[in-house]
Amino acid sequence: MIQIQGIGNQTGKKFWRSLDELSNSPKFQNWVAQEFPEGAADVMDGKSRRKFLQVMAASMGLAGLTACRRPVEKILPYAKSVEGVVMGNSLHFATAMPFNGGAQGLVVESFDGRPIKIEGNTNHPESRGAAGTLAQASVLNLYDPDRSKEVLADGKPSTWDSFSKVAATLPADGEGVRVLSTLVNSPTLAGLRGQLASKMPKAKWVEYEAFTDDTLIEGSQIAFGDALRPQFDFKKANVVVALDFDFLELENRSLGWVKDFSARRKPAPVAAPASHHGAAADAHHAAPAAEAHHGAPAATEHAAAPPAAGEATPGMNRLYAIESNFTLTGVMADNRLRLKPSDVQNFVFDLARALGAITGLQILGQQDRWIKALAKDLQANRGKSIVLAGSRQPAVVHAVVALINQTLGNAGETVTYTKDVRRPVAALKELAGELNSGGVKALVILGGNPVYDAPVDLAFGDAVKKAPLSIHLGPEVNETGVIAKWHLPESHYLEAWGDVASNDGSISIVQPLIEPLFATKSAIEIVGFLLAGKWPKGFELVKAQSKLDEAGWRKALHDGLLAGTAGASVKGAADKTKVEAAVNNAPKTGGRIEVQFFPSHNLWDGRFANNAWLQEAPDPMSKLVWDNAAVMSPKTAKELQVEIIPDDVGMYAQKIIVEIGGQKVEAPVYVLPGHADNTVTLMCGYGRKEIGRVGRGIGYNAFAVRPSTGLGFASANITKAPGTYYMVSTQEHHSQEGRPIVQEAPLAKYEKEPHFAKEEEEHVELFSLFQEHDYSKGNQWGMAIDLNACTGCNSCLIACQSENNIPVVGKEQVGKGREMHWIRLDRYFTGDEEDPQAVYQPMACQQCENAPCESVCPVAATVHSPEGLNDMAYNRCVGTRYCANNCPYKVRRFNYLNFHKDMDELTKMVQNPDVTVRMRGVMEKCNYCVQRIQEAKIKAKAEGRASGAAGPYKVGEFMTACQQTCAADAIVFGNINDPESKVSQLKKDHRNYALLHELNVKPRTTYLAKLRNPNPELA
Amino acid sequence: MGQIFPKKIDLIIRGALLVAGLGAAATAGGMLFLHHPKRIEPGYQPTQPIPYSHKLHAGNLGLDCLYCHTTVDKSSYAAIPSTQTCMNCHSKVKGQSVVLEPVRKSFELDQPIPWVKIHRLPDYVYFNHSAHVNSGVSCVSCHGRVDQMVEVKQVQPLTMAWCLDCHRNAAPNLRPAELVTKLDWKPESDPAEIGKQIMATKKINPPTNCSGCHR
Amino acid sequence: MAELTHAQEMKERLTPSLTTGHPTYHDVTEAVSIIAEVKTHRNWYIALAISTSITGILGLMLAYLVATGVGVWGNNSPVGWGWDITNFVFWIGIGHAGTLISAILFLFRQKWRTSINRFAEAMTLFAVACAGIYPAVHVGRPWRAYWLFPIPNEFLNMWQNFRSPLLWDVFAVSTYATVSALFWYVGLIPDLATFRDRAKTKGKQIAYGIASLGWRGSATHWKNYEKSYMILAGLSTPLVLSVHTIVSFDFAVSILPGWHTTIFPPYFVAGAIFSGFAMVVTLMVIARWIYKVEHLVTMTHLENMNKVILATGTIVGYAYATEFFTAWYSGNPYESYVFFVSRATGPYAWAYWSMISCNVISPQFFWFKKLRTSLPFMFVISIVVNIGMWFERFVIIATSLHRDYLPASWGYFRPSFVDILTFFGTFGLFITLFVFFTRFLPIIAISEVKGMMAQTHHEEHFLDEAVAASEGKQPVGVAH
Repeated sequence: MIQIQGIGNQTGKKFWRSLDELSNSPKFQNWVAQEFPEGAADVMDGKSRRKFLQVMAASMGLAGLTACRRPVEKILPYAKSVEGVVMGNSLHFATAMPFNGGAQGLVVESFDGRPIKIEGNTNHPESRGAAGTLAQASVLNLYDPDRSKEVLADGKPSTWDSFSKVAATLPADGEGVRVLSTLVNSPTLAGLRGQLASKMPKAKWVEYEAFTDDTLIEGSQIAFGDALRPQFDFKKANVVVALDFDFLELENRSLGWVKDFSARRKPAPVAAPASHHGAAADAHHAAPAAEAHHGAPAATEHAAAPPAAGEATPGMNRLYAIESNFTLTGVMADNRLRLKPSDVQNFVFDLARALGAITGLQILGQQDRWIKALAKDLQANRGKSIVLAGSRQPAVVHAVVALINQTLGNAGETVTYTKDVRRPVAALKELAGELNSGGVKALVILGGNPVYDAPVDLAFGDAVKKAPLSIHLGPEVNETGVIAKWHLPESHYLEAWGDVASNDGSISIVQPLIEPLFATKSAIEIVGFLLAGKWPKGFELVKAQSKLDEAGWRKALHDGLLAGTAGASVKGAADKTKVEAAVNNAPKTGGRIEVQFFPSHNLWDGRFANNAWLQEAPDPMSKLVWDNAAVMSPKTAKELQVEIIPDDVGMYAQKIIVEIGGQKVEAPVYVLPGHADNTVTLMCGYGRKEIGRVGRGIGYNAFAVRPSTGLGFASANITKAPGTYYMVSTQEHHSQEGRPIVQEAPLAKYEKEPHFAKEEEEHVELFSLFQEHDYSKGNQWGMAIDLNACTGCNSCLIACQSENNIPVVGKEQVGKGREMHWIRLDRYFTGDEEDPQAVYQPMACQQCENAPCESVCPVAATVHSPEGLNDMAYNRCVGTRYCANNCPYKVRRFNYLNFHKDMDELTKMVQNPDVTVRMRGVMEKCNYCVQRIQEAKIKAKAEGRASGAAGPYKVGEFMTACQQTCAADAIVFGNINDPESKVSQLKKDHRNYALLHELNVKPRTTYLAKLRNPNPELA
Repeated sequence: MGQIFPKKIDLIIRGALLVAGLGAAATAGGMLFLHHPKRIEPGYQPTQPIPYSHKLHAGNLGLDCLYCHTTVDKSSYAAIPSTQTCMNCHSKVKGQSVVLEPVRKSFELDQPIPWVKIHRLPDYVYFNHSAHVNSGVSCVSCHGRVDQMVEVKQVQPLTMAWCLDCHRNAAPNLRPAELVTKLDWKPESDPAEIGKQIMATKKINPPTNCSGCHR
Repeated sequence: MAELTHAQEMKERLTPSLTTGHPTYHDVTEAVSIIAEVKTHRNWYIALAISTSITGILGLMLAYLVATGVGVWGNNSPVGWGWDITNFVFWIGIGHAGTLISAILFLFRQKWRTSINRFAEAMTLFAVACAGIYPAVHVGRPWRAYWLFPIPNEFLNMWQNFRSPLLWDVFAVSTYATVSALFWYVGLIPDLATFRDRAKTKGKQIAYGIASLGWRGSATHWKNYEKSYMILAGLSTPLVLSVHTIVSFDFAVSILPGWHTTIFPPYFVAGAIFSGFAMVVTLMVIARWIYKVEHLVTMTHLENMNKVILATGTIVGYAYATEFFTAWYSGNPYESYVFFVSRATGPYAWAYWSMISCNVISPQFFWFKKLRTSLPFMFVISIVVNIGMWFERFVIIATSLHRDYLPASWGYFRPSFVDILTFFGTFGLFITLFVFFTRFLPIIAISEVKGMMAQTHHEEHFLDEAVAASEGKQPVGVAH
C-alpha cells in the first residue's frame, strides 16, 4: 500500500529523479560512507561501544512512541492512473539475464514498480523454470548503493554531454580504435558490431571473459574442422562420464541439464516385496520417475499421468566423475576418480584407445581397472551415454571426446552439435601487444573487468594506461574503471533494453522492469552512439534488430523467448586421423604440484563481489563464507606441512604462497577431503581492490597468478607463508556420527529391500501427552525432499533469502554462529578421509505436527495452524530463545542484533512487502512461504472457485520459493491430503522417511533416501 | 524515653493504608476503563487537505464506494482514487470552485494529493480487502456509516481482539457480496442465519491462527 | 582457635551449646545491636564504595545490552542460552539455604539455626534479587518482558502459553521472592523494636519505629508473631522444593539430550541447598570475625552446615553418576553421546571435570572432623563448592546445547566481555545489599537466640532462669 515513507510513493519517474538528487547530496554521500549495506556494519566493527548510549536513547524513544498518539501518515495516490496497475498487487514480467556468453530466461516479480524477486522462466531452454544463485541474487546488484552512478573523467565527476564531445573525436575510419567487450551474444550488439566494422574499417573488436569454452570449440575445430558446440540430452543417457567437468554447477551452461539429469536419478519403480509396510500397495502409483520421463515441468503440483502400459520407465542413470577438485558433480557421482588435471588428458586418451576410437598403445597406469570397467559400461550403452569434458582441459581432449561420442554412436543421439559464432578470447593477447606498442589511439571497454581478470602475464593494466584515450563502461567503478580515462556507468539488465542468445542459440528479449535508477546507459546505446553520433534509444535498437511486428514483439516479450530461434543441430563428422595427429603431438603438461582455476560459486569471476547475499552464501563444499581459500587434499596438506587449526568460532588457516611463472599470491589453505593429491584449486573472483564496501578486502585474488598459457591449470610452486588467516564457515562438523540422518544405499540394495530407509523407523508406538489435533481434513501442507536429486547448489538458499527478507549478518556474526538463512544445506562426508563421498541435506523448518518449539514458548508466539503450519508471530515473540533450544533440527534463527538497522535506503527497495521485516530480538524461521499460500487462497476465494479435495487451488498455482527455483526438482511442496498431488504421492514412495521420527515430532517435511548406482566392477 | 509516635498512630496508619489501597484500586480500574481500545482508538478524525465530503458524494449523490475505491475487491489495498477520478466529473462540475483548486493543480502538475491516513494497521498485520469484500463483509462493518460522515473518522478500535471477535463469529457480519457497499442495508431476516448460509455456500472459514494475518 | 577449645568443652554436655561463654540476654542484645550503633567505620565506606562501583558496571552492561541486543553476549545458534540462564540458576540456587534454614529447620526445631537464619535469609533475598535480573534481560525484547505475566488486556484477546515451563518459572520465582521477603521481615520486627528502643537519635527512632510497626513485646504481639512466623514457615517450606524443581523443569521438560531427564528436580534441589549452604559458610566465616560474634555463631553452627554440605554434595555426586547410568542403560545414542563424548571428553570436558572435582570430591574432606571444624579449610571448600555449582549449571546448559541431534548444526559457546562483566556486576549488587544489611539491621536474630538460650538452659534444668525467662517473655519453640 502506498504510505508516505520517504518518497516511495510518488509516480515512478519522480521517484528516481529525486533519489538521484538525494544520492548526490553530500549528506547522503557521507551517510553512505559510514553505513554498510544489509546491516553488516555491526558485523564489521563489532560492538560499537561509542554508539550505545545514543542507540539506547533511540530505543527508549521508540518504546515511548507506542504510548503516545499515532504519528500522522499520508497516503499519496497517483495523480494520473497507470494502466494495468492494481495497487497492492504485484506484476510479473519475462526477461533474461545475459551471463558469460549464455542467458538465463527469467520471470521477475515487480511490486509498486520495484523488481523484488527473480525466478526462472519455464519457457526458456536454459532455465526451464529454475534460476541459479547468481541470477536470483542479481536483483540486489540493481539496488547496490555502491553502484557506479555518474560519468567519471580521470576520476572526477563529469557528464554524458562532455563524454559525447570526446567520443565524437574518434577517427572516422577507426584508425587505432579498439573495442574490448565481454562475449557478444546479443544479436543487437552483434549487428551494431557489424555496422561499426563497415563504418570504421580500421577499428578492431576484441572479446574477453575470464571463463569461456574456447578449448571446447578449438577441440571441435580439430575434430570437425568447424566451430561446433555440443548440446547434451541427459534424458536419454544411461551413462554419463564427466571428465574434469562440473556440468551440474560451476561449468553448467543450462539448468536444463540439471533438470534432465536429475530426472534420470529417480529409480524405476520397484514392486514392494511382501512387507509389513502398508506402502506396498501404493508403490506402483508413486512412480516418481514417471512424470520425469514425460519431462513434465516441476511447475505442476500434480504428478503427470502414470506411464502408458508397456512403456518402461528408464530407471536411474550412472554418473562417473573424473576430476581434481571435489565438485558438486563429483558429489553426485556414483563412481569418482581423483586425478591431477594434467592426468585427465592421458586418461581420456587411454579410454579412447580402449574403446577403439583411436589407435595406439595404452599407457597402462593405475587407472587400468577404471578404464576397462568404464569402457565396458560405455560399450554396453552405445547411443545411450554421454562423455563430456570441461573447458579447463586442452583442445585435444575435447577433440578426442568428440571422437569417442561418435564411436559410441552417441553423436546425434545424446550429443548433438550447433554452430558456435563466438570469438576466442585469445585475441586479448594481441590487443595487449598493440596497446604496449602504442598502436592504439582509443580503447573502448564495454563491460567486464579485464584489468582485474586478464591473464597476469599480459599486465593488462599497464597496457591500458598506454592508450591515449581509454573508455570503460561498467556497473561499478572497478579496477578497470579507475585506470580508464573515462568511466561510464552501465545500466543493470533490469533497467535497460537488450536481447541475448543462450548457448543453444535461442534468443530472448531483455525487458527492463524499471527506469534506470541513475544516469546510466547500456552497451548497445554506447555503440549506437559511436555509430550515429547521437544517443539512440535502446528500445528502438532492440526492436529494429528483432524485425518483429507488434504482435510478434508482444508475444516475444510475454514468453521471454523468440520461438524457434534455437540453433539447428548440424551433422558433424569427427576426423579420426586429424584427432590422432593431435593426440600424438599433444604436449605432456603438468608438474609435481598443479594449480587449477575455478570461478567461485558465489562471485563467479568477481562481478558479484559486492553482492552481500552471495558473499554470505556458503561455498557448497567448504561451507566457507566471506572468503576463498586454496583448496587441497589432506595428504597434500600433510606433505606441505600446512594445516587448519579449528577454532570454536571459525578456523585459523595456514597461509601459503602460490607461485606460477614468477607471479606470486598469498592464500589461506582449506583442506578438503576428496580433493586430488598434489593439486591446489584456486577459486577466482575474490580479492577485489576497487569495489564497494561489501566486497572490499574479502579473500585473495587468484587471477594474480593465472597465466595466459594455463587458463585452466598450470604447474606451480607452493611454499608455506608465515602466519595464519581467520576464516569462518557455517558448518564445523562434517560426520554424521553414525546417526541415521541421511539415509543412503546402493541401487542394488534398494531393489532388493526398497524399504531400507523405513527400516530405521522401527520403534515402539509413540504417543503425545497432549491431545493431538486431527489433520485429516482440508489443506494440509507438506514437503518431500529428494536427497537423490539435490545437487547442493544453494539456489534454494538464495531464493529464500530474496523471498523472505532474510538479513545478511557478515563474517564475524557467522563466526559466532548467527547466520540467518532459513534453509541450510547440511553437507556430510561418508567413507574414508582421503577419498570420501559427500551427501547434501536441505534443512529448513520441518513444520512438526507435535512441534517441540510450540509447547515451550511462554507467550504463545509460535503455534500450529489448522493446515499444519508451525506459525511464527514475530510481533508476539519476546525472544526467550527457548523454542530454538528445544528444536531438534536447530532451524530457528534469532535476531541477536538489529541486522536491518543499517540497511541502505536504496537496498530497502529489494524487500518483499508481503513479508514482515523482523526487528532485533525476535525468532524467525521457515514457514513454507505462508505469504504465497495465503495469496493463492485469497485469490481462489475471490474468484469463488469450488473447493475440492485439493482445496480450491489450480494445479501448481503456487510453490514455495525454494521449490520453484530448484533445477533438480528435489523439493516438492503441496497438499498432502490431496491424493493427486505430487507430494502426497512422493510420501508414499518407498524411499520416503521422516528425520528424527523417533522423537515423535511428526515432521511435515520428509526426505527421500539417497541412492547411488556404482559400477560393481569398481566396487 | 518518651513515646515517639502518638497513641492514635495505629488508627492513622490503618486509615492511611485503607485509603491508599482504595485509591490504587480506583486508579487501576479507571485506567483499565479509559485505556480500553474501544475508547482510545476510535474518533481519530484528522483534517484532510481537501474538505472532501463522503456524506455529499456517497450519501446524497449516492456514488457507489467502488466508483472511487476501485481495488477493494481485487487487491489487499483499498486504493485512494487518483486525481484523474476526481477530474472525471470535476472537469465539468464546479470546474472553477476554489475548494477544488488543489485537485486541478495536482492534475496539471501530476503531483499526488497528500491525504491523511485514518484507518491504520501495524506493518506486521496483513489485512486483505478483497478477501473480506468478496466474502460479503460490508464496508460498514469496519468503517461505519461513511455515507453519513462529512469528514471521515475511525469508528472501530481495529485491535486484534476486535478482529478476532468477528473471525470467531463471522456470520452476523456477512451479507450477499453485491450488497457490501450498501451501507444502509438492513437484513429482513436474522443476519446470523443469512450469514450461516453464505458461509456454507462460499466455504468461508475465517482464520484465527497467527499466519492468517501475520507473515 | 578459642572456638575449638570451647567446642571440646561443649562435647561433655548433653546438647551442644549454641552460644559460648554463657552470655546473658543483655550480652546478646549488646553484641548484635552494637554493630549497628557504633559510629560508621571508615572500612565500611570503603567496602560500600567498592561494591557500588562494581554494581555500576552491572548497570552499564545491562544498559548496553538493552540498547544493542542479546548479540552483545556470546549466545548463538545452537547455544541459545549461555551465561544468562547459567547465572540465573546459580543465584537462585544460592537463594535456597536461607528459606531452608529459616523454614524447614524451624519446623524441625533445629535450635542451631537461630544465630544464622537472619543472615541466611538476607542472603536468600539478595541472591534472588541478583537472579531476578537475568530472566528479565535475557529476552530479545526486554521492553516486552511483561508479556510473560498473564495481565488481562483488551487489545490482543489472547493469553500466555501455560504449557511453557518458562511461565511456571515466572510464578515460582516471584512467589518465592515475595514469601521469603515477608518471612524475613516478620522475623525482623522484634529486633527492629529493640533497635528502636536503643536508638539515640530521633531519626533512627522514627525509622526503626516505623519499621517495627509499633512492636511493644506484649504477650498478644508475641502470640501473633509466633502464629504468623509459623504460617510463613509453613508457606515457604514447599517453596524451597518447588522453586528449584520448577527451575529444573525448564530443562527436564525439553527434548534436548542432557536436559530431558526425570532426575532433575531432586538433583537441582540438592544442588541448590549444597551451594546455598556453601555461600552461607563463606559469608558467616567472614562476618562473625568482622563483627566479633564468634560466641553467638559458634563452631557448632559452622560444623552443622558443613555436614549439610557434605550430605548434599554426595547426593549431587550420586545424581551425576545416575545420569551416566541412565544414558548407558537407555541405549539412546543421542543421550549417551552427550554424557560419554560431549561432556566427558568433548570440547567442554574441562568444564565437566572441574565441576566433578569441585562438587563431588572437595566436600568429601568434611568426613574428617578436623577439617570440617577448621575455619580456613571450610572457607576455601565453601568457595570451591560454589565455583563447582556454577560449572554444573554451565555444563548442563552449554554442553547439552552445543551438540544435539544433527551434527551439521553443532557449534560452540564463548562468553563475550559483556557476559563476564555482567556476572561480575551481580556480585557487586549482592555485596552492596549485604553491606547495607550489616550496617543498619540486626544481622543475628536477637530474640530467637535469647529464646534458644532460654530453652537450652530450661532443658538443662536451670529452672529458675527458665521460669524467669518465661515470665520475661515467651521463648521461641518451648514445647507447650
